[in-house]
Amino acid sequence: MLSGLPTVLVNAALISALYALIAIGFTMIFGVGGVLNLAHGALLMAGAYAYLLLARDTISVPVFESMTLHPLIAFPIAVVTVAVLSYLLYVVIVQFVEDNPIVTFLATIVVALAATEVVIHYAGASTQTYTLIPSDLLPSTVGFGPVDGILTVDVVGFVVSWIAIGLLWLYVTKTDSGRAIRATSMTERGARLTGVNVHAVRARTWLVAGALAGIGGVFLGASSSATPGMWLQPLSLAFIIVVIGGIGSIKGSIVAAYLIGFLQTGVGEYLGQNFRGILSLVLLIAVLFMLPQGLFGREYHE
Amino acid sequence: MSSDSAFVRATDAVKAQLRTRLQPVWAVLCTVLAPLDRAIQPVADLYNRSLGRHFGTMTGLQFGVIALGFGMIATVPFWSPFYSETLNITFAVASIWAIFAMSWDIQSGYTGYISFGHSVLSGAAGYTIGLLILHYDPSMGPLVTIPLAVLASLVLGLVIAVPSLRLRGPYFSLITLVGVLLFTNLIFAFSEWTNGELGIHQVDPFTYEPWIRYYYMAIPMLVIAVGLTYVARSNVGMVLLTIRENERAVSSAGLDPTKFKISSFVLSSIPMGIGGALLVYYGRAINPVSFVEISNSIEIIALAVIGGMGSIIGPLFGSFLFFFLEEELLRDFIEDSSTRTLVLWLFVLGVLVFARNGVFRVVWHALGAVRGDSE
Amino acid sequence: MARNNDQTTGERHTDEQNADGNTTGSGYVRRRHFLQTAGAAAVTSTLAGCIPGGGDGGDNLEGPIRIGHLAPLQNPLGIGSRRTATMAVDQLSENGGIMDEEVEVVHADTGGNPGTAQTEAERLVAEEEVDVIVGTFVSEVTQAIMDYVAQEGVPLIVTGSSAPSTVTDFIGQDYERYKNFFRTGPINSTFQAEAMVDYVNHLNELHGWSSFAVVADDAAWVEPHLNVLPGALEEEGYDLVMEQSLNINIDDFSPVINDVVESDADAMIRFFAHINAAPLLVERAQRELTFGIEGIHVTGMHPAFAQLTEGAATYETTSQSGGGGTTGITENTVPFVESYRERYADSDPPVGHPMYMGFNTYDAINVYAEAVERGGTWDYGNDLDGIVDAMLATDHTGVAGQIQLYGPDAEYPHDAVETRDDEGTISNFPITQWQPQGALECVYPEQHATAEHMVPRW
Repeated sequence: MLSGLPTVLVNAALISALYALIAIGFTMIFGVGGVLNLAHGALLMAGAYAYLLLARDTISVPVFESMTLHPLIAFPIAVVTVAVLSYLLYVVIVQFVEDNPIVTFLATIVVALAATEVVIHYAGASTQTYTLIPSDLLPSTVGFGPVDGILTVDVVGFVVSWIAIGLLWLYVTKTDSGRAIRATSMTERGARLTGVNVHAVRARTWLVAGALAGIGGVFLGASSSATPGMWLQPLSLAFIIVVIGGIGSIKGSIVAAYLIGFLQTGVGEYLGQNFRGILSLVLLIAVLFMLPQGLFGREYHE
Repeated sequence: MSSDSAFVRATDAVKAQLRTRLQPVWAVLCTVLAPLDRAIQPVADLYNRSLGRHFGTMTGLQFGVIALGFGMIATVPFWSPFYSETLNITFAVASIWAIFAMSWDIQSGYTGYISFGHSVLSGAAGYTIGLLILHYDPSMGPLVTIPLAVLASLVLGLVIAVPSLRLRGPYFSLITLVGVLLFTNLIFAFSEWTNGELGIHQVDPFTYEPWIRYYYMAIPMLVIAVGLTYVARSNVGMVLLTIRENERAVSSAGLDPTKFKISSFVLSSIPMGIGGALLVYYGRAINPVSFVEISNSIEIIALAVIGGMGSIIGPLFGSFLFFFLEEELLRDFIEDSSTRTLVLWLFVLGVLVFARNGVFRVVWHALGAVRGDSE
Repeated sequence: MARNNDQTTGERHTDEQNADGNTTGSGYVRRRHFLQTAGAAAVTSTLAGCIPGGGDGGDNLEGPIRIGHLAPLQNPLGIGSRRTATMAVDQLSENGGIMDEEVEVVHADTGGNPGTAQTEAERLVAEEEVDVIVGTFVSEVTQAIMDYVAQEGVPLIVTGSSAPSTVTDFIGQDYERYKNFFRTGPINSTFQAEAMVDYVNHLNELHGWSSFAVVADDAAWVEPHLNVLPGALEEEGYDLVMEQSLNINIDDFSPVINDVVESDADAMIRFFAHINAAPLLVERAQRELTFGIEGIHVTGMHPAFAQLTEGAATYETTSQSGGGGTTGITENTVPFVESYRERYADSDPPVGHPMYMGFNTYDAINVYAEAVERGGTWDYGNDLDGIVDAMLATDHTGVAGQIQLYGPDAEYPHDAVETRDDEGTISNFPITQWQPQGALECVYPEQHATAEHMVPRW
C-alpha cells in the first residue's frame, strides 16, 4: 500500500483546502455574530444545485428557462447566487432571532431541512453529477512522478480555494470593511465604540461566507455528487473542524482542516471507510473535553 | 443592536401597525370572553387552592382550555371518527411523540442546554427490547422488557450527561449530536445482532385495535405530563430555569448547577425510555431510521419549540398540533408529501421567528390577559 | 415541473393536479362523505358494540375494487411504479374492470421510511379500505408493514424488494399468519445470487476475465449475494482479489477505486441499492480505468442515468428485473414499454421506461386481477383462503417474465418462481449495460440479449 502513499498525501492536501474553505465561512459567521449557522451545509448544497441548474439542463424550475452555460460563466453566477441567498437568510430570518442563540440554532437547521424539500421538489430525490472542468479545456486527470490518478477538478478546487482564502485574507487585513469584520469578531463592543456599524458588518459577513460556501459547494458537488441530503456531512465536518481549530479563528480553521483532511483520507485509505467518520468524532470528543477553546480560538462566551 | 437595520425597523413598524389595527378586535374578544372567564373562575379557583401550588395557578379561561384540551385527549376514540378514520392513529403517534417532546423539554427547555441526542435514549430503550426478544427470550412480556428498556435509557442518559454537561452551550449540543452519529454507526457495526437497517420486527405490539392502542399510548403520556409538570413547577424546576437564565447566579447561591443539569438529563431519560418502549409496542419495527437517526431528534425539538419550550404542556400540545397538521389538515390541501413537509418546516420557522415562545404560550398569555384588559 | 393530468376512469380524483400527490382525491371524497353520514354510522356501530377502525373487508362484496399502491413516490423508482400502476388499472377499467366491478388505485408515499410506511399502510386499510396492497421498496419498509397487514388479512403483493428474509422470517415461519403475502417479482436475492454466478461464467467465456473484486452495501439485503458469490467464484476457479463492504453513507470512493486498481481485478462486482455510485463512475471515467463494473446498482437503473452522469456510466452493467425496456422478456414486454413511453413522453423522468419496480407493479396488478376472476372473490375478510388459492394458481405472462408462485410447502412460500431454461440456469435475470452514446442494451442472458457485453475502453 505504501506505493500509493504520495498519491494519498496529495489527495489529502487537495481535499483539505476545500474543507478549509467550508470551515472558514462557518467560523466567520460565528466570530462576528455569535451565530452557529446550521444552514451552512444547505448553502453548500445551494451552490452545487445552482451550478447544476445553470450548467446542465436536467433541472427545471418555474419561470427560469433551463440552460447550459459554459462553466466559466455558470460558476461565478452560482457563487454570487449563494452569496445573495446567504445574505437574504441573515436579513430575512436570522437578524430577527440572533439575540437568542438557541432559537437561531433551531431556525437555521429548520431552514436546512426546508431547503432539502425544495431541492427534492425541483431536482428530484436522485443523485446528479456534473463536470466542472470540460475535458477540452484540461485533461481529466493529472500525474507527476510517483503520483498518479489525481483528478484535475480536485487540483482546480485546491487552487481556487487557496486563491479565495488569499483574497479573504487581503480583504480582512487591507480593506476598511474587512478590518471592521475582524474587529467585530474580536470584540463587538469595542468595534461599536469605534463607530463600526455592527449590523452592516454582520450582513457583509454573511455575504462573504455565502460566497465561500458557494465556491465550496460547486467543487464539493463536482468531486462527489449533488444530492438533497448532501448538506449534513459537510456541516458536521465544518462543525468539527471549527471546534478543533477554535471557534472564530480563520487560522485555526485552516490548520484544523488540514489535520482532519489528512486524518480522514489516511484512515479511509488504510483502515477502511467505516472508521473514517468515527476517528474524526473521537478526535472531536477528545478536543472538547481537553481543549474546549480549540487550538487557536477563544472560549465560547455567552 | 439589530435595530440598526432598516429592514428590521421596517418590520417593527409593520408589527406596530398590525397591533394597532388588531386592537379593537382584541377588545371585542375580551368583552365577549370575559364573562366566560368569570363564569369558570370559581371552578378554576377550586383547582387553584388545591393543586395550584403544585401545577401553577390559572385563570378561568386558561383552566377551561386546559380542561377542554385534556378532556378531548382523553376521549379521542369517541369523537375522532366524526372527523376522519385516521385521527385515532395520528393522535396515538402524537401521544408518543408528546412524551418525547415533554422529556426533551424538562431537560433542554428548562436548562437551556439544547440536546440533539435525545433520540439515542429512546433508541436505547427500543433496541433493548428488540435485542431481548430476538436473542434472549421471545416470550418476554412487556412487564419485564419495559422496565429493562427504561433502565437502559437511564444508564445511557447518565453516561452521556456526566461528562458532557461540564461543557457549555453549543459544545454540549455538539456532543449530543455526535452521540447520535456514534449510536447509529454502532447499530450498523453490530448488524449481526441488530439486523442493521432491516431492524427487529419480532416484538408483538400491544394491539392493532385503534381504540385500545390509543389509550395504551395516551394514558402513560398523560401521567408523564402530570409528573413532569409537577417537577417543573417545583423548586427543582425553578433551579433549572435559573440555570438557563444565569448559570453563575445558581452557583453563587451555593447550589451546584452541574448536579442539577445532570439530574434533569437523567430525569428526562426515564420518560424517553418509556416513550421508546411504547413506540416499540405501538408496532414500529425497531430500526435506525425510526428510532435513532438525527431527524428524530430534530423533530422532537421542533414539536417542543412550536408548543413552547420550558412549559411541559406546551410541547404536549405542540406535538398534537404538528401531527394534526401533518397527517390530517395539510393532507386535504396538499397531495405531494415533500411539499407538505416543506410547509410544515416553514410553519416551524414562522413560529421560531414570530412567536419564539411557542404557540401555546402565546395563546396562554392571551387567555390570561382577557379579563385584565377589559377591567 | 410539467404535470401530467391522469384523466382516467381508473384513478378517481377530485382535484385537477394529481401528478405528484400520493393519496388521490378519492380519500378526500370519502372523508367528507363519511362526515355527512357520521351521525347514523357512528351511533349504530357503537350501539352494536362494534369498535370502528380496521379494514372492513368483510362487508366489501360490492365494488369498486380498490388497489393500494405503496411506494417511495419522490424517488424515480416510485414514480415509475406509480405510473405503471395507473396504466394497469386504466387498462383493466377499459376492459370492463375486474368481475365487472370498477377498479381504482390509491397511491401512498412511504418516503423510503419504515415508520411512515406503516402509517400509510394503516391509512390505506382503515381509511381508504383497499382490497389489496401492492408495492414497497426497500426490504426494511416491506418488513415494517408485514405484521400489520397480516393482522388485517389484506393481501400484500411485494414488487420492489428482494430480500429472502422477507419470506423466510415471516410466512416461512408462520404460514397461517402471513399467508396474505405474495411476491410476484423480482426473484429473490438467493436466486439472483445464483444467476449472478452464471453471469460471471458468461463473462469469463466472453472476455477471459478471471479475477474479481466484490464490493457491496454494508446492509442486510446483500447477505444472500455475499453468502453465495465469493464461495462460488473460488469454486469456479476464479480469483477473488478483493472483498469489501462499504458504509452506505460513503462519499469518497477514491480508496475503493485505488484498491480495485491495485488488486488488478478484471472487473468489480458491486451490489449497491443504498449507495449511489455516480461519484465512483465519474472518477473511474476521468481516470479512464478499464476494469468492468458488474453486479447490481439500483440508481444505475434510471433510464437516463448515462445522460445524468454525462457518460460516466458507460460500460457499467446492472441486473434489472424487466430488462430496462431493452428487450422482450416475454411477448408483452415491448408493447408495455412502448405504451409507457407514449403515455409519459411529456412527463418528468423517468420516461424511457419505468425502472424495475414499475414492471413488477404492473404485473402484480394484473396477476391480482386474474386471481380475483379465477377465485371469484376479493373479500379477504371472509375468504382469504379463496384468494390465496387463486393467487397460487397464477401462471401469468407478465412484462417482467413468466410469473408463477411457490406453494405453501416450498422453501420460499408465495414467492416468485425463478424461470429456468433447459439447462437449469436462471433466465429471468436480465443484465443491461450502458454502451457508448447513452445506449442501453441487454447483454445477458443470450436468449434476451440485444448486444454483446463490451469491455470498457476510453
